Amino acid sequence: MIISIDWIKEFVNIPEMSDKDLSERFTLGTCEVEDVIKTGELLSKVLVVEITAIEKHPEADKLNLVTFKVSENETRQVVCGAPNVAVGIKVPYAPLGTSFPDGFTLVPKKIRGVVSEGMLCGEDEIGLGSDTSGLMVFPADAPIGTPVGEYLGIKRNTLLDIDNKSLTHRPDLWGHYGMAREFSAVFGVPLCKLYSEEWAERLKKNFTNDASPIVPQVADDCACLGYYGISVDNVEVKESPQWMKDRLNDCGLRPINNIVDISNYVMLELGVPLHIFDREMIKDEKIIIRTAGEDQKFMTLDEIDRDLLAKDTVVCDSEKPLVIAGIMGGLESGVTEKTSKIFIETANWVDSEVRKTSSRLGLRTDSSQRYEKCLDTELLERTCLRTLELVLKLCPEAKVIGKLEKDGVQKKETLVIDMKASHINNVLGTELSVERITEILESLEFHVTASGDDLKITVPSYRSTKDMEYDVDVIEEVGRIIGFDNITPVSPKTEITAVRLSQAKQLQRKIQDFMVFHGRSLEIMTSPLIGSKLLKNAEWHENNDELVLVNAMSRDRERMRPSMIPSALEAVALNQKNYSRFSFFEYGRAYKEDEKNFSDERTQVIMAWYDKKESRFMEALNTFENMMAFTNVPAQEAKPNPKFPNPLFAADWRGLHPSERVDFKIQGKPAASIFTVHPIVLRNFKIKGNLVLAVLDVTDFEERAMKDKTKYEPLAKYPSSTFDCTVLASPKTPVADVVSAAKKLKVKELQSVKVVDVFSLNEDQKTVTIRAVFGDKEKTLEGDFIREAEDKLVAALDAAGFPLKR
Amino acid sequence: MLMKLEELRKEFQTALASVTTQAELFDLKAEYVGKKGKLSTILKSLKDATPEEKKSLGAKSNQYKTEILAEIDNKLSGLEVAEINEKLEKNWQDISFKDSISEKGLNTAGLHPVTIIQREIEDIFISMGFDILDGPHIEDEFHNFEALNIPKNHPARDMQDTFWFKDMEHLLRTHTSTIQVRGMENKKPPFKFVGPGKVFRNETLDASHESVFHQLEGMMVGENISVANLIYFMKSLLSEIFKKDVNVRLRPGFFPFVEPGFELDIECLICGGKGCSVCKQVGWVELLPCGMTHPNVLKAGGIDTDKYNGFAFGLGLDRLVMMRYGIDDIRNLHSGDLRFSTQFKAY
Repeated sequence: MIISIDWIKEFVNIPEMSDKDLSERFTLGTCEVEDVIKTGELLSKVLVVEITAIEKHPEADKLNLVTFKVSENETRQVVCGAPNVAVGIKVPYAPLGTSFPDGFTLVPKKIRGVVSEGMLCGEDEIGLGSDTSGLMVFPADAPIGTPVGEYLGIKRNTLLDIDNKSLTHRPDLWGHYGMAREFSAVFGVPLCKLYSEEWAERLKKNFTNDASPIVPQVADDCACLGYYGISVDNVEVKESPQWMKDRLNDCGLRPINNIVDISNYVMLELGVPLHIFDREMIKDEKIIIRTAGEDQKFMTLDEIDRDLLAKDTVVCDSEKPLVIAGIMGGLESGVTEKTSKIFIETANWVDSEVRKTSSRLGLRTDSSQRYEKCLDTELLERTCLRTLELVLKLCPEAKVIGKLEKDGVQKKETLVIDMKASHINNVLGTELSVERITEILESLEFHVTASGDDLKITVPSYRSTKDMEYDVDVIEEVGRIIGFDNITPVSPKTEITAVRLSQAKQLQRKIQDFMVFHGRSLEIMTSPLIGSKLLKNAEWHENNDELVLVNAMSRDRERMRPSMIPSALEAVALNQKNYSRFSFFEYGRAYKEDEKNFSDERTQVIMAWYDKKESRFMEALNTFENMMAFTNVPAQEAKPNPKFPNPLFAADWRGLHPSERVDFKIQGKPAASIFTVHPIVLRNFKIKGNLVLAVLDVTDFEERAMKDKTKYEPLAKYPSSTFDCTVLASPKTPVADVVSAAKKLKVKELQSVKVVDVFSLNEDQKTVTIRAVFGDKEKTLEGDFIREAEDKLVAALDAAGFPLKR
Repeated sequence: MLMKLEELRKEFQTALASVTTQAELFDLKAEYVGKKGKLSTILKSLKDATPEEKKSLGAKSNQYKTEILAEIDNKLSGLEVAEINEKLEKNWQDISFKDSISEKGLNTAGLHPVTIIQREIEDIFISMGFDILDGPHIEDEFHNFEALNIPKNHPARDMQDTFWFKDMEHLLRTHTSTIQVRGMENKKPPFKFVGPGKVFRNETLDASHESVFHQLEGMMVGENISVANLIYFMKSLLSEIFKKDVNVRLRPGFFPFVEPGFELDIECLICGGKGCSVCKQVGWVELLPCGMTHPNVLKAGGIDTDKYNGFAFGLGLDRLVMMRYGIDDIRNLHSGDLRFSTQFKAY
């Protein structure tokens, strides 16, 4: 919203200060000033000049060298390309050094070799119109050398561009008078209260004893909070005076005619929208405020047919709707050049109803955005009288018929807040006196009765529509006027308690760190919102149809992902274009449909190992095992068991490799899986090469404290004995089977069994060399005992189907 | 005699110089200082000499013997090292062929930049005694709006473009303020915590707008918490984040869940407040909304407002990340593109 300082000064004397200080102090005290705009600056520099000679530019056909008088005895010359240039005409001239609103400043320069001393302007270039065809031409009597602004009577002004968002909660600031009150409080200067009781009484003297032609009737079930109206005859519709046009232009509204301009002017001044009807277009001179009911179509004055709902509130005559309440009037009942009898309406509407209707219709107007903020019904009479005042001023022949009529006015209770001055100081961290607090609040037109520390604060009705409700609201008023900046920062006094990261956070950090420092992996983030196409490509069994957004921005971001796996596949597909090998991980969430709780959010870690050529399965598996050890989370390898299906994917998912897959149980439940992705699914993503994924769902145990189970044992005092033996096995026998066969040996001195070597003999056989360690903590084992144990080991292996290689 | 001895000494030296193997060296040793070596032979002929001659020649020959043995030892260790080195040379490897110049695909590792900054901020708050919480992404209207003093039809709901699910009761949280509500439900005052996490808004995507981004919410509830305390915490936090003292200012800002509510600006770090293109010539940069928690919010969280009050603030994490690293497009953060990730590598 634009605030005109010239207008504000009608109500309050702002102390002299720079624009920067003005906007900064107002920003800190009231609302955000986004920009300070100077108007009339340019026109105070641009002069009226008379062209005296024209000659062709020696180097360019379309350009002329134009000589003109800037005063009776001084001429200058510019290069000019305007087609309407002619000797004797008076035109605007911008001398060197003139800055234009777009930031361009005229500097001395040669145009095709000829020096140009500035620029002759068209009306578009100096903001006086939209004609771009040539130079602006002034009447012959325009005085040479006079600044154009002065000649046209255009005043210089300062405009503040206020961020509307910072006014969301302040309906009282949507007009200049309310803003002026803030200037008065922020800068500590008195507010000139123009609209007093006496003022109102004076205007009411224009009322007559005639019956009012229109007496509005408000139906009970509509969104009206109060409706005032007055009829005026003998109105002459014409152009508004310049001062009014200037103010409307400054605030960004186009002047139309005096009556329409008055309604806009009053809205900009007092913040309350109003409507002026051509009374002769009101059928039967009846104004009825009701819900639309069966009236389903209405053409607004922008000539668009609007669909009404039965419960929308409308202002009607005896037949049809004339205005959509609080939003926009119709085409027919508006003021035209022929209008002479008018009806002035000021009304208030339920904020949420206006908001609902206006957002449904996609019609946000100057009016609706004010009503949405919740206006004060008590301002209606003043607004109507001010409108009347201006109508009578601009149309001295106009006559009021009857008096100000009203209906449906809902009284609201005066808001009184009882609180302690010390509470204000406690919350702000200040030491303000009761007098100072009272002074601040009274500058904002609150009424304060103080008795010791106790304050009884009466809130002005225009502040208590929504904004002011509680004692904290009063605290804000005091704080912003003294300036929150003037509060000294103080550390709170609190108890000391030990704080550390939650278990879940600790686990997350451990996993992230391990994957970076040991897994040599890059952390990525992908969107939790995905499309069904991705799930289809991944051949995923869950579609999450319940977790679909109604207002998704695109098809590929329309639903919550049921697993991190499809996202990882997508990321691999993207990155394989740039890298022949990479590893990444993501710590994120998967979202499951849940009948009871709507959704079940699972925290999952997905890890990917990709290589264009080779398999990285063993690297992945070892990294994963080490990672789990590092986190102290006990994880056991678990054979897939149809009784306890792995919830991380469907048992028949085609993305699983037939053999390269290991699942882990945590707390007895399948919670992790490491697998090579089947080429069939890789093909859907056009992924070439080899991809291993590991997925770990931490949701069920992340909050559990994981104990460090490390226990010290004294170092062995007696030597142990090692025994290597090589056995035969079939090529696809897992070496772990050989080790576990050896470990079954019932000799307590067997301390460990490890694989030393595996060697492929031929297509049918391989050899596995294992090393067993025998030892006793208490003594050195005797030779006979060792030999016997070794024989038993060989026999046990043999019995398990692994004969000794001879 | 003496001449013979000195000739022998010189002869040895010449011979030693031509020795190249350990075997040759052992032969040479036997030839000169062995039991039947040349030196012994000379000494044996001493028996015919005068006592004076015996004395001087004896001393000389002992001196030479010691010298020769030392030279042999010296040569021996030289030859040994040379032979080991020769073997080592056979196992030569190219030590210039480092991972950094090897095409093995992407070989870097590191955290996501949001994680890096988020951890940094979490640690600052942990050090000031704040807990770290999070909550669900899929929320209900109560936690995202009602409990935060944003009833139905409140204009503030306009400011947030909410993603709704089909049931029109559940939504994706539009701010981490939901964590405030969940925090209050689970904690007894006094308490203080921060809640970092993902939030979702239905915004048109461009270089500075994403539909998924990160915020960090903070809340402190206790007895007699003041605006002065809030400013103190914000200043401490920002000095830690920016690693230097920063000037801040509070200007009134409207957020339904705080009263008084503020926009906190920091003095532009680029120009020091003089005005530049980054701060749009104002000298201040808007950084975080904050304020004293609205009594309705405390009540919705089951807090006794007669006894307790508090403050809350919100921080846009992605914005900080982008400022820190000069990232020009927010869409990179959730792209999963490793060309982006590798720029933040730990090694």
